[in-house]
Amino acid sequence: MSREIASELERDPVYLVRTPAFDGPIELLLTLAQRAEVDLGAIPLASLTDDYLRAIERERPPLDRLAAFLVIGARLVQLKAAALMPQAPVGEEEDLQAWEDAIKGRLEEYKRFKELAENLMRRHASGRFTFAGLLEPDVIPQARVQVSLDALASAFQQVLDRLPPPGPVTVEMEQVSLADKLEELRQMLVRQPQLNFTAVFRHARTRLEAVVTFLALLELIRIGEARVAQVGAFGEISVYRQEQSNEA
Amino acid sequence: MTAVVETATQVRDTAGLTAALEAVLFTLNRPVTVLELQDILQSTLPDIEAAAVSLGQALAGRGLFLQRHQDQLQLVTDPAQADVVRRVLRPEYPSRLSPAAYETLAIIAYRQPLTRARIEEIRGVNCEAVLESLEEKGLIEETGRLEAPGTPRLFGTTMKFLQILGLSSLDELPLPPQSASTSS
Repeated sequence: MSREIASELERDPVYLVRTPAFDGPIELLLTLAQRAEVDLGAIPLASLTDDYLRAIERERPPLDRLAAFLVIGARLVQLKAAALMPQAPVGEEEDLQAWEDAIKGRLEEYKRFKELAENLMRRHASGRFTFAGLLEPDVIPQARVQVSLDALASAFQQVLDRLPPPGPVTVEMEQVSLADKLEELRQMLVRQPQLNFTAVFRHARTRLEAVVTFLALLELIRIGEARVAQVGAFGEISVYRQEQSNEA
Repeated sequence: MTAVVETATQVRDTAGLTAALEAVLFTLNRPVTVLELQDILQSTLPDIEAAAVSLGQALAGRGLFLQRHQDQLQLVTDPAQADVVRRVLRPEYPSRLSPAAYETLAIIAYRQPLTRARIEEIRGVNCEAVLESLEEKGLIEETGRLEAPGTPRLFGTTMKFLQILGLSSLDELPLPPQSASTSS
């Protein structure tokens, strides 16, 4: 009996296999199977597994024993599968060795990272954070009017010019209230938080209505509910909805 | 003696550039890439690197702290002042992540950039949910795509990762594991 086999027998076996073809510790079964000294074909691995599952139900072995069985079992299954393959490559044992080394390497790598992870956890738990400044860049207030007054005025003039020339004078009391226009504009900005300047006047049919709309826009800017900006010189002026700041 | 490209009229020595860097980082109050800084400070990369080193040294023992993550710089509070700052800000901060999250973070921190497949190879389990949650917390981000079939996403840590650990840079991470598996 080789030293290897003797040492397998000395160890507390992970599991004792009791089948007609083989009777002894599962470690020994694996060692012999790797040397092709036992015919795995004669050992029903499925029922062996079933027996083992019943055994662990009763005994509840520690986790390392379960893991050891899993590793041995997986290798037995692999060996048997290889034997069943018609063109099973020779040198299985070497492959298994490589496979075992790969697994070991991976486990060691994982263990290292586990230690590092604990290190990170301790560091994190120590609460020695660093903090950025309180103001988020986008909280820094922006100018409400980013368009020159002249540009705003001339854009409004263009709107007026686009309206049909005043027809024959019809005297008619027109009711356009600033409050209504304010509300209308607010609604427009809720539906569409960015509007072209001209779109603001879409519904204005008369000069008076356009003027009141313009006043309403100025009022919204003043109270901080809207903001106007122009991309470049002569660019289209845009009206933006401005979130109300809670302070002040 | 220095052969600085004098594009602007002002010629700055390292002290001047360091002060300018500090001012810019203070106002921007976010991670700023060295590339951006080159543009903002009208300076060269080596000069900015030198200024960053000098700013980091100048801040030693002060309330502010220079953090560097890859090519980004940010001015933050010193980790030694975390308690007092927290008292002022009272920010809600998650004091703990799951063990799986720390493991994944550690793997990414030391091996970045790397793919989810590589992380799962090391951890031996599916990491989709953990990665998603770390990404949501802003501790990791996609840093690019691997030039391989399917161009899988590559993950790396973020500035926020340094912030929750109070590190000045990734170089400060404790004992990096011997990169045994650099091959494969």
